[in-house]
Amino acid sequence: MIIFARFNLQHPTKMKRFFFPKNRPYSAFLIYGFIIGVVFIMLSMRVMDYTSTDEFCMSCHVHPHAEERWVLSTHYDNPSGIVVHCVQCHLPPPGDFDHLWAKITTGARDVYGFLFKDPDEINWDAKRHITQAVRHTYESSCIHCHQQLFPLQLSEEGMHAHLYYDNHRDELNCLNCHLHVGHFSEHAQEILDFGFGQVSHVPEEVYEEAATVESFERFTETIPGTNVRFDMLPIPGGRFMMGSPPDEPGRRDNEGPQREVELSPFFMSEIEVSWDMYMAFYRETVSEGRPSQDLMASVQAGMDAISGPTPPWGSPDQGWGYGDRPAITITWHAANVFCQWLSEKTGKTYRLPTEAEWEYAARGGTSGAYFFDGRPERFSRQRWINRLFGADTTTINTYVIYEANSFYQTQRPGMVGPNPFGLKNMLGNVWEFCSDYYAEDAFAHYPAGQVMINPQGPPTGTERVIRGGSFRSDAYDVRAARRSHTRHDAWLLTDPQIPKSTWWYSDVFDVGFRVVMDPGQ
Amino acid sequence: MKENTQLTDRRQFIKGAAAVAAAGALGAGALLQSCSRDRTKAVVPTFLDQAPDGRELKTGLIGCGHRGTGAAMNFVDAGNGLRITAMGDVFADRLNSCRHHLKEQRGVEVPDEKCFVGFDAYQKVIESDVDVVLLCAPPYFRPSHFDAAVRARKHVFLEKPVAVDPVGTRTVMASARMADAAGLKVVAGTQRRHQRDYVSTYEQIRSGIIGDIVASNCWWNQQRLWYVQPQDGWDQMTAMLRDWVNWRWLSGDIIVEQHMHNIDTVYWFTGKYPVKALAFGGRHRRLTGDQYDYFSTDFVFDDNTHMHSMCRQMDGCTNNISDRIRGTRGYTNCQNEIYDHNGQLIWSYEYPVGEDGQPSPQAMMSPYVQEIIHLVEAIRQDKALNEAEDCAISTMVAIMGRMSAYTGREVTYEEVMNSNLRLGPAKLAFGPVDIPIEVPVPGA
Repeated sequence: MIIFARFNLQHPTKMKRFFFPKNRPYSAFLIYGFIIGVVFIMLSMRVMDYTSTDEFCMSCHVHPHAEERWVLSTHYDNPSGIVVHCVQCHLPPPGDFDHLWAKITTGARDVYGFLFKDPDEINWDAKRHITQAVRHTYESSCIHCHQQLFPLQLSEEGMHAHLYYDNHRDELNCLNCHLHVGHFSEHAQEILDFGFGQVSHVPEEVYEEAATVESFERFTETIPGTNVRFDMLPIPGGRFMMGSPPDEPGRRDNEGPQREVELSPFFMSEIEVSWDMYMAFYRETVSEGRPSQDLMASVQAGMDAISGPTPPWGSPDQGWGYGDRPAITITWHAANVFCQWLSEKTGKTYRLPTEAEWEYAARGGTSGAYFFDGRPERFSRQRWINRLFGADTTTINTYVIYEANSFYQTQRPGMVGPNPFGLKNMLGNVWEFCSDYYAEDAFAHYPAGQVMINPQGPPTGTERVIRGGSFRSDAYDVRAARRSHTRHDAWLLTDPQIPKSTWWYSDVFDVGFRVVMDPGQ
Repeated sequence: MKENTQLTDRRQFIKGAAAVAAAGALGAGALLQSCSRDRTKAVVPTFLDQAPDGRELKTGLIGCGHRGTGAAMNFVDAGNGLRITAMGDVFADRLNSCRHHLKEQRGVEVPDEKCFVGFDAYQKVIESDVDVVLLCAPPYFRPSHFDAAVRARKHVFLEKPVAVDPVGTRTVMASARMADAAGLKVVAGTQRRHQRDYVSTYEQIRSGIIGDIVASNCWWNQQRLWYVQPQDGWDQMTAMLRDWVNWRWLSGDIIVEQHMHNIDTVYWFTGKYPVKALAFGGRHRRLTGDQYDYFSTDFVFDDNTHMHSMCRQMDGCTNNISDRIRGTRGYTNCQNEIYDHNGQLIWSYEYPVGEDGQPSPQAMMSPYVQEIIHLVEAIRQDKALNEAEDCAISTMVAIMGRMSAYTGREVTYEEVMNSNLRLGPAKLAFGPVDIPIEVPVPGA
């Protein structure tokens, strides 16, 4: 109101008084404040515009393949000739505070990265994985442009998929299906892998018989009818303290109280069950559709031939490769049927380890946080001091695939050294299923002061124990005592079918398993 | 003084600006509201006795059976400038019979070059310069016909049910959203939503006259429906199409094809659809086809209230076609009467006076014409109207009941919404029909 009134003045002296008021100095503040404000806003807008150009983004973003792949993608090269720029996906839509705030925070992060990080050491491929991509791509920006979910050319499959998305917006992200639309990928995973499990060549050697075990020594198991072999190591019986002491750095409440446990001898596979091993099972038992409940029941009762996994959606290896990398995205149930199949094929008793067997094997007779010398707080990048000054991670790098050295994907077992029992990747690479039901306070239910003999975990439950941490875990989370559990519903979140798959998890990429075998058969 | 007046002007200007801003905000709010997909909101149509005049609407009829013929006559009866200009059917004799009736009874003449026969007739009707299509083929065909119509940007009369299986129903749901985005008007053949007595009762129930809804029943128990035995010279496809209400892949079975009217009524009145169902059903006395002749279903809503539904097509049994919704303060038959818990009538619909001087339902505007009036009104005056998704939801609920009866197991809405069940042969052509013909056995 005041400003409106002021501009009504016409007389020159009045004009003078307007700009240099004598008796009301606060007016001068208002006037100059207003002018400075206008100039500031205009300059800010120029800065916003300038810092939002593709050229500006790419002047700092020193990963040229991002630009190369963008130019090949449908967001650059499409029939309509429209080019979608960096900030249109990697910032929220302009016009509100979210946009500004995201611009400030990501800008600050980029400047930090530019000054202090070596771009060659950043795993750019990992950042394209769905779990990472959702952090720097904004769904609100997808929707800002793609407002029409049911455009004229949409296929029937697309209509069904968008209907599902439209009805489940809180749970889903556009990127769940459209991961590679902004930066082209030659192995785009939205394409169903029809050839999954088919081998194009005849394997060189097909084993006719399973290994015979005559003594409690290392042996090589050969799966009859396949070219797959793997090593089983003897784990001598003995006693150990299960869980972690209260003063262990990074310890969680569910790791205690510590209990003394005695275990009978068993064999354990040297490495995590590999894709080669799992695919031998898949190829032999793959079933076309979903087995009915009755069939599942007969499988569990051991009455019928084993009916194996259904074909998966997408690439279960995440594009990282098969071979001796650990098999992932398979369900706890699938892991069990695998053990059952392996037992039938070899005439032995293969199964998942109990939680106690797993921890005993992982410790290999040691009692610290790891089976090697080292303290978690020295390695963890959760501590700012380690981030700033770096940490000597030579030992942990020798034995463990974890967040700092994994390039954000599973690695082959040859990358690490064994633990005292000769086992590889007990800590890190992928979490491993145990047969026990999970309970937060499982150890507290074992009586104190007694030695528990071959404990099996809680009698009932819903989720199962997983142990060992993974390639995504911080150093704190690859300790021998670290416990976690399956998350059945969350791991099947984006599986669009009901009933959801019995065989393949859709939303977890860092859980696998290894097998144990009971001796004396 | 001058400054003062200007100040006043400025004040008024600012007031005016504020008013404009407020109006803008309100307008945005209204817009948002109209965009929201809140199906529990009551939308009560207006009732005109004739569609408002406007631009001529050329209309294609797809499916020239008895219902198609009826819908075409309803269409020309609804107002001025409403023309049937094209028609299509799989069979020439059905098309000719319909054409004859339209000419005899309504003076409608469709030229030869706009009459199409065969499995692709629907496509040719859609391509023959029409504004509106009437989709009246057997339910199996509806999803593909609706999809083609929406992609060609035609307004639609969509006969119920909208599909026979979950996949087809989902296709209709998606097409419905495509139709929304394209501004198309769609009215469904769930005509009770356009029937004046039902709508008046609905307004009473929504205003809370019987309190919160606690339970409902619905019945469609009637005598045996029509059937056609195969004749010499008919291949299997011809025999099935001419006997379509008795074949699951064409009609969806009786709970979907017929009883869905009741299911839709309860969904409409309560604003909620069930989340699961457990059903009995069987086949005792049907003469052709592969369907059941009765279903009895316990539908459960998310608040654990129940709707019990029965449907039967069997001679010599007690018949009943009605609904009953019970609230905390009374109950209604949904059509024209509301009672308190003691059975005292507390409200009834006043029918218009007929030729005999007595109030009569027959004196009321036919709901089959009324729904066309609503469609034409929406097209000519650009009013919001798209009933496809609601009709699809009712179809899906009926399919859920059917799947439960066939399997003997409880089936959830989420399961059917995600089911990949698709009925019918892989290829549509005359000759043998490549589907297994068997009557489902529960628990098998």
